Amino acid sequence: MPHLDAAYNLARWLTRSPTDAEDIVQDAMLRAFRAFDGFRGGDAKPWLLAIVRNCWRNAGADAKRRAQTALPQDDDGGLVSTDPDPEAIAMDASQSRKLDEVIALLPNEFREVLVLREMEDMSYREIAEITGAPIGTVMSRLARARTMLRERWTARDLV
Amino acid sequence: MNCPELLRTQAFLDGELTGDAAREAELHIATCDECRAFSARAAELSDAMRANITQHRAPQALHNRISALLDKEDAPVAFIPRWRQREFWTGAFSGIGASALAAALTIFVMLPPSAETLAQSVADAHTNALMSGKVIQVASSSHHTVKPWFAGKVEVSPPVADFAQQGFPLIGGRVDKVAGSRAAVVVYNHGRHEIDLFVWPDKGARLPGESTRHGYHAIFWKNGDLNFAAVCDMEGAELHKFVNLVRTESD
Repeated sequence: MPHLDAAYNLARWLTRSPTDAEDIVQDAMLRAFRAFDGFRGGDAKPWLLAIVRNCWRNAGADAKRRAQTALPQDDDGGLVSTDPDPEAIAMDASQSRKLDEVIALLPNEFREVLVLREMEDMSYREIAEITGAPIGTVMSRLARARTMLRERWTARDLV
Repeated sequence: MNCPELLRTQAFLDGELTGDAAREAELHIATCDECRAFSARAAELSDAMRANITQHRAPQALHNRISALLDKEDAPVAFIPRWRQREFWTGAFSGIGASALAAALTIFVMLPPSAETLAQSVADAHTNALMSGKVIQVASSSHHTVKPWFAGKVEVSPPVADFAQQGFPLIGGRVDKVAGSRAAVVVYNHGRHEIDLFVWPDKGARLPGESTRHGYHAIFWKNGDLNFAAVCDMEGAELHKFVNLVRTESD
């Protein structure tokens, strides 16, 4: 299957969980298979990665909805966030020894551009297509992501 | 982040700028402390990421599960109408599972391109680059600059040499695509002509030998596990001279 490894790698970095990543990729490959007719040619990799990202977003929205309906009386119910809070991120990152962990703790919108650029070698235009963000946003997110990663990665050495 | 040029600097580092824009960005970096520091940090970070970060591979079990699921999918009607050789596909694949079809399609996609496709693809890449002014992403007459520039950008390490003495000075390089494969392109000058030397991994394709498309002349050859194509708008004899130089250098 073409690009299965790339799909899995992206899903793994987005979900930060092997089991969630497998579910997302399975869903994405089925959708890609069914939607192949809509593929307009060119490079299939960005097209498939965009589907992976959509599946991940949908899964996240589903989880949030479930959390809300399951805990209607709980004040925190609607606030269940998939992102750790910034304080925790900074703390965890400063203590982690590995670049992997620092990246895993970057907020979603920064983590995804970084993974797409540095690991999947996507161009700005391709990242813009995959994430549905304008190129200018992709560029500023990438710069932010690099600065954040750099700060947290060096902070780790100081602990 | 204070320098207004920072995003352009980043774009340059990410290989997004070509030609004049790339040269301007390079000049700016040389004169701006902030951008120079940013470049150094970004390079360090990129190296660290490429060396340390985990690139996850799909587990075999997932692979198997997806294959099984695709088998259960209905006959892939969606696949067929768009294929021009509809009868061929329907005939060839009626009665086998969808994943066999998917596998066959994959093989189809991964089959080495035909000589015809290659000839067209190389000519297209060359003209596109000329028309968009993006012939050069790294401008240098030194092979010490051009050759390492390709590392990490393409899966091949092309032979790079300067043939200025013989009338074909090295002017730079870029990354391009030949029939879907990433190719290193080493760019030379000859008088007022630009010569693109495409180098990409050999996947068993039958090469066209020589071809002419829209007035562009191309010579193809193979050396070890690399495919080569030299493309230019000058006449065949001159291009042959160039090809001989490259072949003597790299053989």
